[in-house]
Amino acid sequence: MSENVVEVQNLAKYFDGRCVLDGINLKVPRGCIYGLLGRNASGKTTTIRILLGHERPTRGRTFLLGTDSTNLSAKIHGRIGYVAEGHNLIQNYRVGRLVKLCKNLSLHWNDKFFNHLMETFRLPMDRRVKDLSMGMRAQLNLSLAMAIDPELLILDDPTLGMDTVVRRQFLELAIDVIQKQGRTILFCSHILSDVERIADRIGIFAAGKLVVDCPLEELKTRVRKLRVIFAEAIPQNLYLPEVVNLQSQGREMIITAVNWNQQKQAILETYKPASCSELPMSLEDIFIECTKPISIPIQVEKWEM
Amino acid sequence: MFILIKREIEDHLAYFVGAIFLSAMIIAILISAFYYSEAAGNEPVFFFLSIPAIVVLTIGFSSMGASQMYTDRNRKISTFLSSLPVTRCQILTARIITGVLAILVVLVPLTVAGTILWRLFAPPIPIFPGLIFDLSVVTFLMGFACYCLGLQTGWTTSRITPSLGGIILTCVFVPLIMIKGFGPQIKIILLLFIIASLIRTWQKFKHTAL
Repeated sequence: MSENVVEVQNLAKYFDGRCVLDGINLKVPRGCIYGLLGRNASGKTTTIRILLGHERPTRGRTFLLGTDSTNLSAKIHGRIGYVAEGHNLIQNYRVGRLVKLCKNLSLHWNDKFFNHLMETFRLPMDRRVKDLSMGMRAQLNLSLAMAIDPELLILDDPTLGMDTVVRRQFLELAIDVIQKQGRTILFCSHILSDVERIADRIGIFAAGKLVVDCPLEELKTRVRKLRVIFAEAIPQNLYLPEVVNLQSQGREMIITAVNWNQQKQAILETYKPASCSELPMSLEDIFIECTKPISIPIQVEKWEM
Repeated sequence: MFILIKREIEDHLAYFVGAIFLSAMIIAILISAFYYSEAAGNEPVFFFLSIPAIVVLTIGFSSMGASQMYTDRNRKISTFLSSLPVTRCQILTARIITGVLAILVVLVPLTVAGTILWRLFAPPIPIFPGLIFDLSVVTFLMGFACYCLGLQTGWTTSRITPSLGGIILTCVFVPLIMIKGFGPQIKIILLLFIIASLIRTWQKFKHTAL
């Protein structure tokens, strides 16, 4: 059995000549909760769609549960739970009919757990899917995806449209059920607090590239934001390795860098700054720094662990 | 597979009801045509009966195929089904089987009724004994060809293409049958058309982003 449940190799995708994904390499080990972050149109959903075989890659290969995504069998699909962005449910079906269809087509169906979810979310079985609110559709989609006891759960912005209480309920359920059973989750969201709460590992997409791929804790410790003030003007020839963002105004420079250490500190000291202080960073700050358009051309490198 | 076929039938029940209604109507017209022609001492005028029936069948089956694909694309049914233990091949196969079933719903009662009527009201002059079989096979192939074209044209976001597809096919096939009759040539032409159309549909369905 493959150790990596999700594997992406040198993935590239072009839409009408426009590059959406540019050489993505990604591995999600078994039992990991992987949080995929990125701004709108950064390539997260496209990556997920390629992984599931809904879209063909322009270049590169992707694997789910050890099988090439272009060749996923029904059995492999049966081991994957998927919640699509916007919840692609059959809109004109009644909830009961949709549930019955999913139940009949599934390889494994956990009736007890599904009923528990339906009771928790209070979903009406007699209403048409199109008549449900956005939040209820999200709950239904989640319940259907989780009822099959998936080995891999792919959630593309699953809490979109949910209120705070339901979102919290879902996250707790996700943590309890999936983590207990050693399942793997590929989780994509714009709500960073959700990702921070459940993810083990983080990947950040920026302009079609995966600029960050490391464990969450590691990411927090490795990214540093420094305020550097020079006595005179900022040196023209200033170069620091592994800088993800650099903003300057007058004599002040804000540097966001990865793997900050004594050696890099020593390099900075050679430019003789008047002061150098560290600014605190949350995951949101890290995300914004990583996805911000940079003011000067810097080689954005991928940080891997 | 059975669940997928059942889903397709339930989603397109109107076509099956329409098929039963059409079949019953043609049988009723056939009975009355046979009965009155025998009473009047004339041969039944099948020519005038067959043209509207062929037109209705071609438009009906092509619109069924188009409707199946068009609603799938619009409602993202395949996108949803693909997230379940179902492959695109299974989805399309179930769809085609449903189409075949709809054609058979029209044809089987018609063939049975036609055979019985043929025996009851035997024509005074000897006629080729395999006529009803040939007629049924060609009608089936023609219905299926129309259905395949519907599948192909329906897998598009355009509203005009599916509608035009059925009309154009009717305009081509009706004169073709009138000229060629129900012989082996028309069967080969229809079979080739069906194979080409199915291959094209499969390619489009397999490679389109869901």
